[in-house]
Amino acid sequence: MRTLAQFGVSIALPLVTLAFAVPVHARPGVPTPEDPTPGACGRNVAMCCAANPDATAGEPCVRPGPARALLLSLSAIAGAGAAGILFALGDRLANGDPATLLVGGGALAGAGAVVGILAGRLLGDGPALEDRVRRESVGLGLSGGGTRVLGESSPPLLSARFGPTWWFDQRSRVRLIGEISGLLGAERHVDPRPQLADAAAAGNGSQPSAFSRRRMGFALGLDLAVSLPYPVARRSARLGRAELRYRPEVQFRREWLGLGDSGMRIVEHTMVLPLLVGARWHVSPRQRFTFYVGPRFDIVSYSALDGRRLSRGKPIIAPLYGEAWYDIDVALTEHPRKAGGQRRAKTTGMLSLGYVHSRFGGRGFNFGPVIGFLGPIHAEWTVRVRPRGAKVAAQFGTGVVIGNGFAVNATVGAVLPDLRRRPR
Amino acid sequence: MKWVSVPRLLLSAAAGMSTHACVQPECASPDYGNPECRVLIENELARLLTGAGVEIRFQDPAAQGVGSWVAGGLVREVAPGEVALRVAGPGAFAVSLVPAGDAPSSLAVTLDNVDPAAVVTVGPAGDEVEVSSPGTTRRAFEVAFDDARTVWIRSSRPCPPRFRLAVTADIQTNPWQFERIVERLIVEAAQAEAEGEPLVGLIIAGDLSESSREDEFEALAPIFGRVPFPVALTPGNHDIYRPLHPAYNRNFGPGNYAFAVCDVHVAMLDSGSGTIARSVQARLPELLDRGGAGHLLAVMHHPPYPGITGSGWSREDMAAQALVEFAAADVDLVLAGHNHALHDFPDIDIGGRQLREIVVGTAGANQGVGVPRYGYLRLAFDGEAMTPCFVEVTPPGLDGPAGDPLRSLDYCAP
Repeated sequence: MRTLAQFGVSIALPLVTLAFAVPVHARPGVPTPEDPTPGACGRNVAMCCAANPDATAGEPCVRPGPARALLLSLSAIAGAGAAGILFALGDRLANGDPATLLVGGGALAGAGAVVGILAGRLLGDGPALEDRVRRESVGLGLSGGGTRVLGESSPPLLSARFGPTWWFDQRSRVRLIGEISGLLGAERHVDPRPQLADAAAAGNGSQPSAFSRRRMGFALGLDLAVSLPYPVARRSARLGRAELRYRPEVQFRREWLGLGDSGMRIVEHTMVLPLLVGARWHVSPRQRFTFYVGPRFDIVSYSALDGRRLSRGKPIIAPLYGEAWYDIDVALTEHPRKAGGQRRAKTTGMLSLGYVHSRFGGRGFNFGPVIGFLGPIHAEWTVRVRPRGAKVAAQFGTGVVIGNGFAVNATVGAVLPDLRRRPR
Repeated sequence: MKWVSVPRLLLSAAAGMSTHACVQPECASPDYGNPECRVLIENELARLLTGAGVEIRFQDPAAQGVGSWVAGGLVREVAPGEVALRVAGPGAFAVSLVPAGDAPSSLAVTLDNVDPAAVVTVGPAGDEVEVSSPGTTRRAFEVAFDDARTVWIRSSRPCPPRFRLAVTADIQTNPWQFERIVERLIVEAAQAEAEGEPLVGLIIAGDLSESSREDEFEALAPIFGRVPFPVALTPGNHDIYRPLHPAYNRNFGPGNYAFAVCDVHVAMLDSGSGTIARSVQARLPELLDRGGAGHLLAVMHHPPYPGITGSGWSREDMAAQALVEFAAADVDLVLAGHNHALHDFPDIDIGGRQLREIVVGTAGANQGVGVPRYGYLRLAFDGEAMTPCFVEVTPPGLDGPAGDPLRSLDYCAP
């Protein structure tokens, strides 16, 4: 716990320092077709970015510098404060999970703000991309970390994903998010006890196979988002738009576990998130910080060894669930071709950094003796390619999940027109 | 690129994620932060070929042959012709000693962590002689090899129907407070013996040290030596996080083992990495096989059910699977530490079966501001009944209890 607190402080302090570093001033400005990326915004100068230079209604003004500084400060206060509370109160704080969530979420927000400062300076903060990366309508994902152990196998996880969207009006929408997944084969582990080594075995090493696992699962949720009026207050500091979010969700895993000579046991683990609420803060036209938090209930069911019928469990209170994401849009085909010709496709990218405060998926971020407190860290890069004039776009992504080792993932999907389009 | 090559490319990529050309046997390059490597080393350390050629192996108490061995303790050759054996926990144990040849020879043996009330016999099968008890947990004797026959050391502990176990966890930075707990246990052992309800073991569910350092473990060994009954240990996250040296195992032996004492079967699981090894998970039905014991306990450092304490397993999927095995084996009580506090979760529904878990991370580790609640859990067994209660051992300078009983867990009567 002491190390956790020290980690929080050591992360938080440099972030606060960076937040107040004066950035190189660029022109505050309105992007034009000739100069669509007017550079980083001045720290104290509002940037009025037009989402579409041809549109009559411009995008509201944002001050990305102060917004990121505020995010950085809040993350430092939240992360370091929570770490300090954990350290000071120790485990006397019987319900310590909210503080642990704040440490992880705060660190992510701070790291996101720092990366955001760099991205804003290098790539520009606006205008907002009209066709930015969002969840694909349908897609496939592949994820795996492999194994380096002789005689073991760790097949990748294949998933089919979907996320159709229905816009109620210009400010609110609902997205059905889902995923069906399964391991492409059986995961196998050996028993390293030397007394079991079979010197006569050949090919796969002398350590006998001890454990196998097959897995399938699904996740289903509804993601509702409502934009708040902007600016909320008349004398707003113009720190960026905000959305409120509600995402009830259920995640389910069924695993077939081969327990050595004892037999096969089926285990079902369900995570229910009925009150997962969150918010999104558009800290610049191209950068967003999103978080979700909510209570979690688990249901664990199982079969007898080599049995098929399951003994069903009832919901039990589980650790809090939380997510924090920092997304940065990157325009890849913003400038016209040198020859003046039109591009055949519009391509946009998105860099996402995330922290998920849940080890339900079997991954948790540990360091030193800090083991069993934090969830995994995500880093993802996604690209959307939309041929000129096409209604359907392709989306490709790759990323890494860090926690109990790491897993590399890749996604490919199609972006179809929304079920009900956003009214203009 | 032809379209037909795209699926082929994807399949190749998938295959590439599941197979590697650079594989090697598990723990060929040891990383003792990996629980599988600790499984390997705890079994390696449970056997030894002495310099004189005597093969010494911890065996299952019921074993008759010497073809295999179990991680039932720690074997060291402390000097030529002298071996020290630390038995992992209370209850019955067996050790086989296979001499190098026919020539007569002898070996000085020190057995540590053995119940003073245990009956220990030594000799070839059929020719065993009893080793007298000095009234401590150490027995020292000479083993004579008159011929090529295997010598067995076996032990059993006669038990009355009523007996007690003590449980605590998380010593870390405060071994001095743990010494106070040990002194309280010494007093209780004498009282309990007089009442015909002996205290037969102390279970420590991990985090003996703060920094996994050799000197921290060495400092604890004499404290454990003062405990007048066996001490069963398993490591916590603070005991295993230096990946290059298995300091915990080298000092105390295995973290994954089971023992049966009196009418209780105890499975000790090394969850120091925030999870257990997959190979141990595969053995859970075996480790949790209570045999004829009336009571079954599962002990590990990280609580498999953390509630919202923030102190759980790093792999929640494996925690759920472990809880399933506990429920399937009808475990009476799950015991853990990690959280430096006293918690009782009396009704954890796993597949319709109610499990009870008590977190007792109260052996001395820092508990933050306020007066800490230190002490141990006493489990009193009487026939089919098992009654847990908490014995508070206040820190220096404090009179009276620092905490109140929990809603579902009482303080023990003075």
